[in-house]
Amino acid sequence: MPPLKSLGPGFPVIDSDFQSFCASLGILSVEDFLLHDLDALAAQADLRPSPERLKQGLALVFTIIESMHQPWRNGMEILEDVQKNKRILSTGCEGVDSLLKGGLHEGHVTELTGPSSSGKTQFCLMASAEVAYKHKGLVTYIDTGNSFSAKRIAHSIGQVDKKVLQTVMNRIICYSVYDIFTLLAVLHELEFRLKSQICERDGIARLLVIDSISSLITPILGSNGPQGRGLMTSTGWLLKKVADEYGTAVLVSNHTVSGNHGTTKPALGESWKVIPHTRLLLTQVGGSNCSISIIKHPSLENATSFSLLNHSQFCITYKV
Amino acid sequence: MEVGRLPISAAQKGKLISAGYTTLSSISSLSPTLLSRDLNISETDALEIIKHASLGGTMDDCSSSRAIIGAQTAWDVLHEEESATRITTSSVDLDHILGGGISCCEVTEIGKITALTSLIQLAVNVQIPVHCGGLGGKAIYIDTEGSFMVERVLQIAQACAVEMSTSYASSHNSLPPSHILMQPEDILENIIYFRVCSYTEQIALVNYLDKFISEHREVKLVIIDSITFHFRQDFDDLALRTRLLGGMALKLMKLAKKFVLAVVLLNQVTTKYTEGSFQLSLALGDSWSHACTNRIILYWNCDERYAYIDKSPSLRSTSAPYAVTSSGIRNSVSKCQQILRTQAT
Repeated sequence: MPPLKSLGPGFPVIDSDFQSFCASLGILSVEDFLLHDLDALAAQADLRPSPERLKQGLALVFTIIESMHQPWRNGMEILEDVQKNKRILSTGCEGVDSLLKGGLHEGHVTELTGPSSSGKTQFCLMASAEVAYKHKGLVTYIDTGNSFSAKRIAHSIGQVDKKVLQTVMNRIICYSVYDIFTLLAVLHELEFRLKSQICERDGIARLLVIDSISSLITPILGSNGPQGRGLMTSTGWLLKKVADEYGTAVLVSNHTVSGNHGTTKPALGESWKVIPHTRLLLTQVGGSNCSISIIKHPSLENATSFSLLNHSQFCITYKV
Repeated sequence: MEVGRLPISAAQKGKLISAGYTTLSSISSLSPTLLSRDLNISETDALEIIKHASLGGTMDDCSSSRAIIGAQTAWDVLHEEESATRITTSSVDLDHILGGGISCCEVTEIGKITALTSLIQLAVNVQIPVHCGGLGGKAIYIDTEGSFMVERVLQIAQACAVEMSTSYASSHNSLPPSHILMQPEDILENIIYFRVCSYTEQIALVNYLDKFISEHREVKLVIIDSITFHFRQDFDDLALRTRLLGGMALKLMKLAKKFVLAVVLLNQVTTKYTEGSFQLSLALGDSWSHACTNRIILYWNCDERYAYIDKSPSLRSTSAPYAVTSSGIRNSVSKCQQILRTQAT
């Protein structure tokens, strides 16, 4: 929200008198107006010389604010939209797709959590290969642990012509990010690119992967001030915004920590719990088999079904 | 709030918001004098804030800002991976399961009570000149426990120098000229040794490494022996420990990527009581276990040493035998020479 001064040139009624009136009440930006009651402000204006002009200014600012809300839709429109447009991205593993009734939802944030070497990075790489190859969409892969393996992605795509492989691999863009501020900058850059591309359906960013977001947030969380948790929540908010406004599927990976009585629980605490729409837990079940279960999902039951990812043959097969 | 993503202190952010500056564009066009008066801070601080704000603002406007953050397509990464040289471990079996050796741009964690010979072997092998298939680089050895033994390094360096000259002689049918022959003294000179005695020194050194390596670009390997020693004893505030370790892990990852070098960390093995039995696991728990790219566990099995790949984004989980001799790490001499494709236990 811009400071009030910037509205001055466009609207002559918001002159320096009006601005000093607002400053006396502690209103310095358009946002501050939302914290004040219109009638109380009008009463304050009456105590000043030339109250009519001040009230005109107040009415104008409130009109500007009202025009800035998001458009609304009713339930029927949303249902028709969901039924008509397939907004699900398959993950490349049939077992997981059948568990999730299709795959990853576009517009949702999906979190993968699990202990070390339970298959989180492999899942992210596999989903990226699938989206780039089958769905022909752009993938933004944000890597915080130097774990991006182009070799594995080429392996997932399989035996194809070299030119095809090059086209598919060029759809996956990998960023190496090592602190939370760089992550926020990358996300804002992505948002800007998406805003200018909204008309082209083909070749738009369909998947955003962050592997892993917990390694960026752990160093700042828990210190004396609330700044760490504030940054975590604003990152989560930005991810949800990018997912919802541009129809991107967001996949983030998180690690686990030990909870009460020797159980394991996802890291990042209670404030993070509400951010992902879907939470999946991966565990190793002996050998190089992994099991994946649902902890939270907007429309499916929790943790009752599971599927197996077997990657001992260096290619991911599935068993349900 | 856009000012929330500026890398400045929380107090300064609070001052900005209470003065009414919530967007980056409102700050970047100001003069430092005006901002310092509004916020009641020094002009240098105001200038810093304006610099950060204008940098953040230009990200939105510049369409080719991809270069600033260093993004690459998967195709470019594939070519880089294929052409990268790896640091050999001097054991054919170990190199085979590692896909050629320890790779640069990655942080590899080795789990063992002590793995001095392996670490020294890597420090020596990184110096193998490019014309012999190596990296021709220097090594940094950060010692936290005081277990570095110079005599052992000399032994391994001498063995390596002899091997290099014999292989040169066999391929060129003549003795190598003195200017390309590596002497053990040269090898020792190329190992840069740091000794740290507390966790604060360790963190300070990791922070300093960025500047040090920018001035010594030949460094291709950083060894930390061991990364967990100072964090295990008498650390009262566990939340602080997690934050410090997380921050240190990210800095090491950034070093590895920025200077294209390999980072090898030694972690101690401990026992964990889960599901009614004691299991061997690495120290510092779950929050540290995701801080490395690859993890190799060294263990004994019936009088033979084995290395097992516990975590890797691109390698299979297998074991391979190796042996430790007076000349360093070598191939295993046992009867069964095949690589065991065991499932993890």
